Amino acid sequence: MTSRTAYPLTWRIMDVLEGVAAAIWPRSMARATPYLMLAPAILLVGLLVLGLLQMADSSLRTLDTNTFLLSENYSLANYRRAVTEPLFAVVAWRSLLAAVIVTAVTLIFAFPYAYLMVRTRSSALRKILLIALFLPFFIGQVVRAYGWLIILGNQGMVNEALGLVGIPPMRLIYNYPAVLFGLVQYMLPFAVLMLAPALTAIPEELEAAAGSLGANWVRSFRHVVLPLCRPGFIGAGVVVMTLSLTDFAVPAILGGGSQDFIANAIYDQFFRTSDQGLGATLALMLVALGSIVVGLVFSLFGAGTLAVSRKRK
Amino acid sequence: MREPLSKKLVLWAFVLVAIVTLSAPTIVVLGASFTAGNIITFPPDGLSLKWYAAISQASDLRNAFLRTLWVAAVCTVVAIPAGTLAGIALAKYAVRFERTIQTYLLLPFTIPLIGSGIGLMLIFGQAGILGQLWPVGVAVCVINLPFMIWAVTASAAGLDPDLELAAANCGAPPLQVFFFVTLPAVMPGVITGSLLMFILALNEFLVSLLLTDARIVTLPVQIYNSIRSIITPDLAAISVVFIACSGLAIVLLDRLVGLEIFLKSK
Repeated sequence: MTSRTAYPLTWRIMDVLEGVAAAIWPRSMARATPYLMLAPAILLVGLLVLGLLQMADSSLRTLDTNTFLLSENYSLANYRRAVTEPLFAVVAWRSLLAAVIVTAVTLIFAFPYAYLMVRTRSSALRKILLIALFLPFFIGQVVRAYGWLIILGNQGMVNEALGLVGIPPMRLIYNYPAVLFGLVQYMLPFAVLMLAPALTAIPEELEAAAGSLGANWVRSFRHVVLPLCRPGFIGAGVVVMTLSLTDFAVPAILGGGSQDFIANAIYDQFFRTSDQGLGATLALMLVALGSIVVGLVFSLFGAGTLAVSRKRK
Repeated sequence: MREPLSKKLVLWAFVLVAIVTLSAPTIVVLGASFTAGNIITFPPDGLSLKWYAAISQASDLRNAFLRTLWVAAVCTVVAIPAGTLAGIALAKYAVRFERTIQTYLLLPFTIPLIGSGIGLMLIFGQAGILGQLWPVGVAVCVINLPFMIWAVTASAAGLDPDLELAAANCGAPPLQVFFFVTLPAVMPGVITGSLLMFILALNEFLVSLLLTDARIVTLPVQIYNSIRSIITPDLAAISVVFIACSGLAIVLLDRLVGLEIFLKSK
């Protein structure tokens, strides 16, 4: 068709589009084009900012237990409750401790994984490692936690198998270690994917050089690879720490209500006690806590791979 | 250069533990979905497809799955233009307040999901659109948007400003330059980004939990709500849908851009 028509349809469509574009966005405004291109993304993220402002408003209103409505006047009563009630301190401490432990364990397992994946000569092995990483990453938290319930539950596979050899069933879920374990499994793909680019950036020749100067592999890891991989560790560490600090699904499913994290406490305020004010207060304090953790890590160790940079030509 | 045996052993010990831990839930869910018994036991009672037959009859599960697909579609359709344009703008132009804009666009990652979800729930509630499905798609798009922007900026190395200038020099007006030169150059990033957005939206749990009510639950929320009671194999069968989608996404990603793209250093 296009061979016979002198002026194909696509050209005519493009011409109309160009005309419309030139009419509403003339050449003289070309300098502002980048901002126009950024506008949709900025507006979308603006929804989150609006949400934060709305939460700030709710957090300053207390719940009237007679009418179950939020008060008209502002007060700091919710913040006072959030910092004085012992329950919230227990939950906050449990989440923070978990974040630290999960980060440490995840990084220890993620590093060998990322190292092998980046350094292996076999492209088949690399692909297998990548698939083993992406498959759970793309399956989602709920299904994965469900898988753990089948394996570790009271009538789960492990207990059934133990029963076959005469060992009485053990309680393997609904406790703190189970939540930690589930979180490590959830975080591994994140950590490996943040570490791998940092490892790719380390030239293999450096390790060979360390080896030819007489360092065994442990020493060349300790003095060459690990220090050079530091930006990757910081990036991965910050991501894993903030994600596990604020997680909801793993404590809810593998903790069975007895191991609530901060996010679960916030959810309960909204959907169990219906205290929107206190819930919003806790949510804002979690946002602040997350930012403090990130800020602390960045000021102690630098921004690592998360530093914003743009390659200039 | 030969690797020392001790290094191999230590590395592989960690990697094997990691692989088993990563894959165990997937394999077990797959296995449990084919069981012939009414509860999940070990060793299994035998093989059957009866739980797949059961879920194909369950209209609540099918509807929940269709709603999830719709949410993921809305999310991806919104994310592609917004993320692509923003990614190109950040990679190509030296905009003012660049650091500030980049930090701002990372807000969906720095604000905890529960915070974002509650905030969106409050403003959607005020706007009177809570209880509809499309706002869930928009919300899921917002919280994952940095993935889309990141994917596009990462592929902007293929973007050569000289090519765009050459096209303009040959008389191509701005939109033609954009659609025939700029966009094809960042296409691998757009594909990676939209696949990520779609699959993450399909799995999104917490934000869906906050923004949906009993009438419009998405599949992950439906599964979560059913987990509370006794563990039955029909949940495993429906979970296999997610495993299949995940596998499909990996194959597509590998075919279209190659999984190794995630190993590249910046």
